[in-house]
Amino acid sequence: MIELSPILVTLKLASITTFILLLIGTPLAWWLSNTSSKSKVFIESIVALPLVLPPTVLGFYLLLALSPDGFIGHLWSYISTTPLSFSFTGLVIGSVIYSMPFVVQPLQASFEMVGKPLQQAAHTLGANSFDTFKNIVLPLSKRGFLVAITLGFAHTVGEFGVVLMIGGNIPEVTQVLSIIIYDHVEVLEYTQAHYYSIGLLIFSFIVLFVTYSLNRKLMVRI
Amino acid sequence: MIEVNYKHKFNNFLLDASFTMPKSGITVLFGPSGSGKSSVLNLMSGLRSEKTNENKSKFILNNRVIDDSDNGIKLAPWFRNIAYVFQDHRLFPHMTTGENILFGYKRCNSKLKPEDLIKKFKIKELLGHYPEQLSGGQKQRVSMVRALLSQPELLILDEPLAALDFRSRQELLPYIENIHKELDIPMIYVSHDIKEVLRLADYILIMDKGKIVDQGEIADLCISQPLLTQQEGASFILEARVTEIIEEDKLVQLDCGENILITAENMQLNTKIRVLIHARDVSLCLSPPQDSSILNCVPICIDELQIDENGKLRVIAKIGKQTIVSLISHRSARQLNIGKGKHMYAQFKATAMIK
Repeated sequence: MIELSPILVTLKLASITTFILLLIGTPLAWWLSNTSSKSKVFIESIVALPLVLPPTVLGFYLLLALSPDGFIGHLWSYISTTPLSFSFTGLVIGSVIYSMPFVVQPLQASFEMVGKPLQQAAHTLGANSFDTFKNIVLPLSKRGFLVAITLGFAHTVGEFGVVLMIGGNIPEVTQVLSIIIYDHVEVLEYTQAHYYSIGLLIFSFIVLFVTYSLNRKLMVRI
Repeated sequence: MIEVNYKHKFNNFLLDASFTMPKSGITVLFGPSGSGKSSVLNLMSGLRSEKTNENKSKFILNNRVIDDSDNGIKLAPWFRNIAYVFQDHRLFPHMTTGENILFGYKRCNSKLKPEDLIKKFKIKELLGHYPEQLSGGQKQRVSMVRALLSQPELLILDEPLAALDFRSRQELLPYIENIHKELDIPMIYVSHDIKEVLRLADYILIMDKGKIVDQGEIADLCISQPLLTQQEGASFILEARVTEIIEEDKLVQLDCGENILITAENMQLNTKIRVLIHARDVSLCLSPPQDSSILNCVPICIDELQIDENGKLRVIAKIGKQTIVSLISHRSARQLNIGKGKHMYAQFKATAMIK
């Protein structure tokens, strides 16, 4: 029997995470692509950490940080009385950090590809920095955004280690697809595991397929 | 007047550019590559920002202070109202020609009529095209219209023809000439092509090793600026009008106060042109020779004698109202008894650089 809730939790988590990542990632990527500050390399390395770090390491430290005595958990206690650990919000925080490079890096690359010369031309025609970003950089970075959204979303859907460490596997709250597959396999319920797995496989393929075909169409225009 | 004064240190390069330029017509900024031309333009347009305190900037455009480091004034590029035509057109690839040319127009309270410039630059049929569908020359034409439509107080053209082939260049030059005939926008035109300089310049700034080494009207400057003509010794310019085209000999007759003959093709009757002649190609004689292969022999009146840097004698004379220069040896001068006020004849070949 297939439960619907893990699918919904997963989609909700991936959507919210991607949305937040766009809000944070866009200015961050913009700053990285423009700055000549010495801290650039430092920030770039931090953003890229989840690419190389085992998710369990990230999950472990997040677990500590999200606990009521931890750095984030303590700050959270001023806003809300419900604890962060083993909550959906905690899961979102973890996912945002975990999927950060998949959004920031494509955006940064596409901002850099637009390049200074076109922005300078816009400036000499009376467009200030924001105007230039909105009307020149953003439209020319469509592909970067498409890639960032797809990868951010897909990577969050495929997240396992971090969720396992900080999620708590609470049905209808933090129980996502990757976890429930693991649960079924653990108790040798291969049929159920198959249903979810094949669904996830097809879903991931379709997302990537649609993205790459759209991407090609965009490529012609740009 | 446009007053510019930049003293900036870039890594190993000291820029110390100070000049004034007239507020109408084309001012050509001329100099070898690496002389700092682009640095000056980037500072003027505000595209290069330098934060150090040692750098001094002062730039006044028609009584408007653009840069003044002493008083902490530094306008952002989008407030300067200085348009820029780049060597690489820099059209926005996601916009059509029509959208591109209106980009600055919409943002700068321009009072110009887009239709007028669209007509003058013959880009009407290109309006719906994207930049990638345009040829090099078309792109640059669109880029000029885009810059002009923002109704700038100053238009910077940074080697706008350098990336184009010969034919496109010839096509575009008349458009540039027309800009300043029809719109009263001062222009700085960067070039190191002497032909372009001759054709376009009203005023000229010569730059070398980060400094403005000379400035003035082009006709005055030529006499002592080998840097400009890339030739040793002095050169001079005659302004002339085409009075006759002699096709079988590939010659044109020009009126520059006197009639002269110059080898040239593709000229049109009655157009005004400039002819660049090297002083060492001009010889002097007391009476017109009867049997010489040299076609041009015009009466002149000696105005001044100078000794140039190589110890040669530079004879400056008047041909009508214009100046002609000849380089001769001291010995010739003695033999001919040359002195101020003396009437003589100047001879030069028909090969000279035109426009």
